[in-house]
Amino acid sequence: MPDSHEPIIRFDHASFGFPGVIALKDISLSIDSGEFVGVIGPNGSGKTTLCRAVLGLMAPVEGHLHIFDCACDELRCHHRAKIGYLPQKGVVDRNFPVTVLETVMMGRYGALGLFNRPGWKDREIAMDALAHVGMDAHKDTALGHLSGGQQQRVFIARALAQQPKVLLLDEPTTGLDITTQHNVIELVEHLHDELGLTVLLITHDINMIRSRVDRLVLLKTRLYAAGPAAEVLKPDILRQVYGKDLVITEKDLVIVEDYHHHHSSLNR
Amino acid sequence: MLELFTYDFMQRSLLAAAMVGGLCSVIGVFVVLRGLAFVGAGTAHAAFAGVALGYLMGWPPLLLAILFGLATVWITGWVEETGRMKLDVSIGILYTTTMALAILFIGLMKTYNAEVYGYLFGSVLSVTSEELRVIGGLSILVLGLILVFSKELYFIAFDQEMAEASGVPARRMFFLLLTLVALTVVVSLKTVGAILVFAMILIPASTAYQLTHSLMTLTLYSVIIGVTTAVAGVIISAAWDVPSGPAIVLLATTMFFISVLLSPKRMRRAALAHAQ
Repeated sequence: MPDSHEPIIRFDHASFGFPGVIALKDISLSIDSGEFVGVIGPNGSGKTTLCRAVLGLMAPVEGHLHIFDCACDELRCHHRAKIGYLPQKGVVDRNFPVTVLETVMMGRYGALGLFNRPGWKDREIAMDALAHVGMDAHKDTALGHLSGGQQQRVFIARALAQQPKVLLLDEPTTGLDITTQHNVIELVEHLHDELGLTVLLITHDINMIRSRVDRLVLLKTRLYAAGPAAEVLKPDILRQVYGKDLVITEKDLVIVEDYHHHHSSLNR
Repeated sequence: MLELFTYDFMQRSLLAAAMVGGLCSVIGVFVVLRGLAFVGAGTAHAAFAGVALGYLMGWPPLLLAILFGLATVWITGWVEETGRMKLDVSIGILYTTTMALAILFIGLMKTYNAEVYGYLFGSVLSVTSEELRVIGGLSILVLGLILVFSKELYFIAFDQEMAEASGVPARRMFFLLLTLVALTVVVSLKTVGAILVFAMILIPASTAYQLTHSLMTLTLYSVIIGVTTAVAGVIISAAWDVPSGPAIVLLATTMFFISVLLSPKRMRRAALAHAQ
């Protein structure tokens, strides 16, 4: 874990959206360097909007967002290159004719800037990133020939090739089987520990990440709660956000269901 | 047969075909991968409207073709970026509007003008030295820009939002790509014509797409297919006295179907389906 805990991303009463449609309202949140933060919330809660805002693709309509001490709308390309991004599965054409190494090399393009060609050092960085995710043996394989989990590893390597300070992952386990989901999350945890990256992980899978993150951020257009998992995953807070009663089992699993039904069946 | 190659017109035609074939096949890689196929068709018809207006008013037709082509792609790109309309809808509207304008301009001409129809159907065998210089100059410009910005263009073809998020000026690169598509269409008008230029952009890259999983190899194969079919089409056209545009395009289409049959991708998919 890194020693410094300076704020790297700061939302200050920031709202995001389009005229007449507010996707995120009045968000105040500070994410420190080296933190592992999980972002959760139901569909349409503004998780992807938060993701786009952190990427500098959306400026706040109200309030402020500072990334690396730079106002979001002043974010330049070299700042963006410091945020490694893994998009949602399905956003990218996985059958695009590209090899694993070519995919990872794309992570170098932003940092290189216009007019500069990737050289041997960039290739070395890309190979190093592939080694970090255990995919260096597949460098010449077509991306489309890999399994879903392997492709996710390659996309994480592409993000690492940017030599980022922040790793932003948008639902990285969607569409993967249980074992692969665990492998991907374990890899992210390992990279956070080993490289000291600030990790922002957007997910629906509360149970998968609750014991691994430093903090959870719970969204539903507004910021409902932010803090250690035990403080955020309280039945009354979750009920407000998910609109259903919730059960936290003895094994600390969160189950969204009809609480009263569950409770009465337990008493029977 | 060999005597054909001693004629000036034949040498000019072969050179023009090679340049246009190479240029279209390179830009075609980005058009196919970025899903801009319909933009190529729309731009071709817009450029033809420019040519028709040029002949009607006595203004330089190629200059007007460039202006019409650029206006079409920039409006299309702007409409898509602002999220006002899907790209295929806006290009569809501009496609038919510019074609209507072209028909109107031709209708307003007092006499039949064969040169205008040359731009519609292509007449590589009648390319003049001056036109060859224009084709050469624009080809160098377009290929030079592609070479300089190839890594950014590949990235936006892969995923524009991811490229933007990674620090690549993706929006500017998208407009550069649209501009290069428009210039390529204009360069190719005289050789293959407004109707068939779209095929010259689309088919070599789509053929190469069947054969490889690597971006670099895809581009190389596309160029080889584009140049070969263009040159061979001109030779067939001269030898058998058939129109050059269709000869080039039909040859390219034949190669496309052969590549589909021999495609390692298709064979792999079939093997996987069989295994399941």
